[in-house]
Amino acid sequence: MSDPYLVRNRERDRRPLRFVAFGIVMVLVFSLLTARLGYLQITNGRSYAAKADANRTVSVSVPSPRGLVYDRQGRLLVANVASFAVKITPADLPFDQRDTVSTRLGALLNMQPSDILATIDSATGSRFDPVRVKQDVPRATADMVSASASQLPGVTVAIETRRDYPTGTLMSQILGYTGPIDAAGYSRLQADGYLADDMIGQAGLEASYESVLRGTYGQNLVERDATGKDLQVLKTTQTAVPGASLTLTIDTTVQKQAQQALAWGMKAAGLKRGVFIVMNPQTGEILAMVSLPTYNDNLFARGISQKDFQKLATDKTQPLLNNAIQSQFAPGSTFKLVAGTGGLQDRKITPTTLIHTAPYITIAGTRFWDWNHRGFGACNINCGFGNSSDTFFYQVATMLGADRLAYYAHAYGFGQPTGISLPGEASGIMPSNQWKVNTFGQPMFGGETAQAGIGQGYVAVTPIQLITAYAALANGGRLLRPQLVEKVTGPDGQIVTPFKPILVRKLPVSPATLRTMRIAARATVTLRHTYNLVDMPVAVAGKSGTAEFGLRDAQGRLPYHSWFVGWVNKDPASKDFSQTNSQLMFLAFAYSSQTIGNAATEIAKEFLQLHFRIKHNYVLPALLKKGNFYGQG
Amino acid sequence: MRVMRAEPGRFADVSRRTVGAIWRAYDLQLTTYAALLGAVGLVMAYVNTVESGSAALSNGSVFSRALIWSGLAIVVFLVATAFDYQWIKTFAWPLYGLNIALLLLTLAIGAGVGGSARWIALGPLTFQFSELAKILMIGVLAAYLGNREGRLDSVGSILGAVLLIIPPWLLVMRQPDLGTSLCLLAILAGMLFMSGASLKWLLAGASGVLLSIPIALNFLQDYQRARILSFINPTADTQGAGWQVLQAQIAVGAGGLPGTGLTNGTQSRGQFLPVQESDFVFAVLAQELGFIGSLVVFLLFIALLWRVLVAAWRSQDPFGMLYASGVASMLLFQIFVNVGMVVGILPVTGIPLPFISHGGASLVSIALGLGVIQSINIRQQRAEW
Repeated sequence: MSDPYLVRNRERDRRPLRFVAFGIVMVLVFSLLTARLGYLQITNGRSYAAKADANRTVSVSVPSPRGLVYDRQGRLLVANVASFAVKITPADLPFDQRDTVSTRLGALLNMQPSDILATIDSATGSRFDPVRVKQDVPRATADMVSASASQLPGVTVAIETRRDYPTGTLMSQILGYTGPIDAAGYSRLQADGYLADDMIGQAGLEASYESVLRGTYGQNLVERDATGKDLQVLKTTQTAVPGASLTLTIDTTVQKQAQQALAWGMKAAGLKRGVFIVMNPQTGEILAMVSLPTYNDNLFARGISQKDFQKLATDKTQPLLNNAIQSQFAPGSTFKLVAGTGGLQDRKITPTTLIHTAPYITIAGTRFWDWNHRGFGACNINCGFGNSSDTFFYQVATMLGADRLAYYAHAYGFGQPTGISLPGEASGIMPSNQWKVNTFGQPMFGGETAQAGIGQGYVAVTPIQLITAYAALANGGRLLRPQLVEKVTGPDGQIVTPFKPILVRKLPVSPATLRTMRIAARATVTLRHTYNLVDMPVAVAGKSGTAEFGLRDAQGRLPYHSWFVGWVNKDPASKDFSQTNSQLMFLAFAYSSQTIGNAATEIAKEFLQLHFRIKHNYVLPALLKKGNFYGQG
Repeated sequence: MRVMRAEPGRFADVSRRTVGAIWRAYDLQLTTYAALLGAVGLVMAYVNTVESGSAALSNGSVFSRALIWSGLAIVVFLVATAFDYQWIKTFAWPLYGLNIALLLLTLAIGAGVGGSARWIALGPLTFQFSELAKILMIGVLAAYLGNREGRLDSVGSILGAVLLIIPPWLLVMRQPDLGTSLCLLAILAGMLFMSGASLKWLLAGASGVLLSIPIALNFLQDYQRARILSFINPTADTQGAGWQVLQAQIAVGAGGLPGTGLTNGTQSRGQFLPVQESDFVFAVLAQELGFIGSLVVFLLFIALLWRVLVAAWRSQDPFGMLYASGVASMLLFQIFVNVGMVVGILPVTGIPLPFISHGGASLVSIALGLGVIQSINIRQQRAEW
């Protein structure tokens, strides 16, 4: 160390100040980093810890098993079955692989690749929510998709439950179906815990009892990584509560009889559409409700293809439509109940008042003909209602006037929905002066009031309204809401909602009036207006109807629907219709039935034979031949 | 331009001395701090491997690769210590040529993310030669500046050093690797400063660089510009570059004082952190070891830098002083920029945290640099001139 050269060098090349400066920079750098670290970790540690938790944890819904549906005998109508669904998480599908993945997956699922991409692109949820590409995939296909997972990024196979409708087409329109929630529904129901790929009731009871059947989805707090992959369930914040089950008022056996009778009649008469309803008039319980043609709701449960759906939606006979509640038709002579009840109650006529029933009457210069173009001579209510004399009821309706007629029609429940628990119920039309003014700007003409008296003109009713009105007649004046659900049973087996008849109103009509009308309804049968119905071993009271609609043919004749609504006493053989103990009311409706006789009555007879196991066949096939027995009232 | 003079190596120096003398000159503290930091790096590699769901020692896992690289680094360190650093002066030009060649090779056959060319595959491992370039350039610059002693405060020395660094700097920028190229500039600045270069000219040069930043921004790659812009306004792009910065800060902050414990970092376990085994490893460390653990790591870095500066101070020839200064500048710059990026006070640039970021080239290069410093330490007693 004594080398002078070395000493000189050390003094010149080693700058102590520069070392000190470097040291100061070092101290500054570490002080700055430490200060920032302290600010993040000590001052704001808590809030960052909260952010880190919010980052990684996410509340995930746990679907609850949907409630089941039974008929009144406890027979299973709607079940849940496990099925495989193929889903794609858009965030996990690299953009440049969209085409290869959709082509490969399309080949496995027998789908168009463009349909797969369209499904993903139209998804409503976030890019991290799996989108259902195809539901109810066969197990073998699901296994193949799982096996090629490495070539199908973003594609997953999920096990989910789908609805199964073991009765097939028997009561599709009542039960309805579930389907994927649409964008509008999702944005509306997201707050109620619905998921982007959720299923929701789309029609029938599945739709109207959605909240009951669905149950309450559970919530799991899940730790999730940045790519959206679940790492672990941290805790269950809410347990899933299964949906409640429904027991229907429908009796599968009666439903089958009704469907069989209607299908037979429609086939024999070559009809396109028809309705059959069976009801207990004491309670409003619907025992059967058939609307033909129909569809199979399993098609929807399995994920209906666009092609199949288009086919159903564009079918002219509208199989998706429940004609029993969603369509309204002119009631024809069945509506004479209203004019008759009103005339008696307002004392325009008494049970013995005789009215001359000419071949026609003239109102404001127009002739209004009776259906047989002859009239029935001097008639009381029994003769008028029993023979369905049009001129009788033109006169009664005119005596009542449009507003009183409308008053009694509304009392019977016409012109407003019955409130049956099915979506899309039509309300029907009952014209009054006010209605006419609101709709056409002028009051009812005399002729229109007369027409309304026989259920023509502006009047339109749904089959369910008509049977409900006649049920009020049969049960002594209680207008009941028709009901389809007998009871709601919670997942624990406790009955949540027991059955209770719902009284809409007591008719503003005396028991004597109703008794007179019931006996008049029996006269319809006994006067052989309904041919051999009177010969059957069960005693029926009721009313047929032939309702013109649409456009006149070359001979100036209109097409017509036929109706029959009737009931039997508690003892079906009892012919005493002053009783109000009936347990069975039925309605047949045949759309556009240009037959020689009243097709609906023949269908009702067929039903009674099936229901009461009547061996002898009373059906008159000749009446179902094509023809135009014009104006069989 | 004859800037370097070949000098004969001095093999005999060490062999003539006793083992005890060598041991006394050997800086055991420096080796200890480096080893401890290396151990922290291995721990973080282990944590990252386990959190990604792989078995720690599974084939090709981050941890198993880190073990291989650590072994290699120890060998490189020992060899460099045994090797007489004077030979670096002798082979400065060939080393410079090798450096340029390796960087050209990287550009030619290298691989990287999104069209970049940053590393070369060596069997199962990859090597980033730009990391080695930093250490090689420290040697080249130390040889160049050491040779110009007596004229170090001249503008010529500064310009010469700048000219030397431009070719590798351009090649690194071309990869593109903004972080390493900035690091090269930091090394140059640190070494010139410690060499006693004229402050006037250094300041002039620094202002020139600062003024050219707006122009340079135009030449940056889109992603580089996005990172810098997102640093200025992190909320503008919360899913892209800003998201990384935000997630890193959340991780650091969530660690609090004691940390969540090793392998319990929710941010890393959930893959919320970008490149969490390399550039953002400090975020994982800060969440899992907390403020206390981070401070311990800082203290280890400070201690190591102190020992490197002590070596610079003790060195009796300008080469040793400049070499150690260069290593200190590099380490300090990388620590500052990497940790500053993680804690959100500096923009995102891909600079590894010495010892702790996973990356073989970085670790081996540092081991090489520290080995040379130990070589300098044990060869000071008998200066030959």
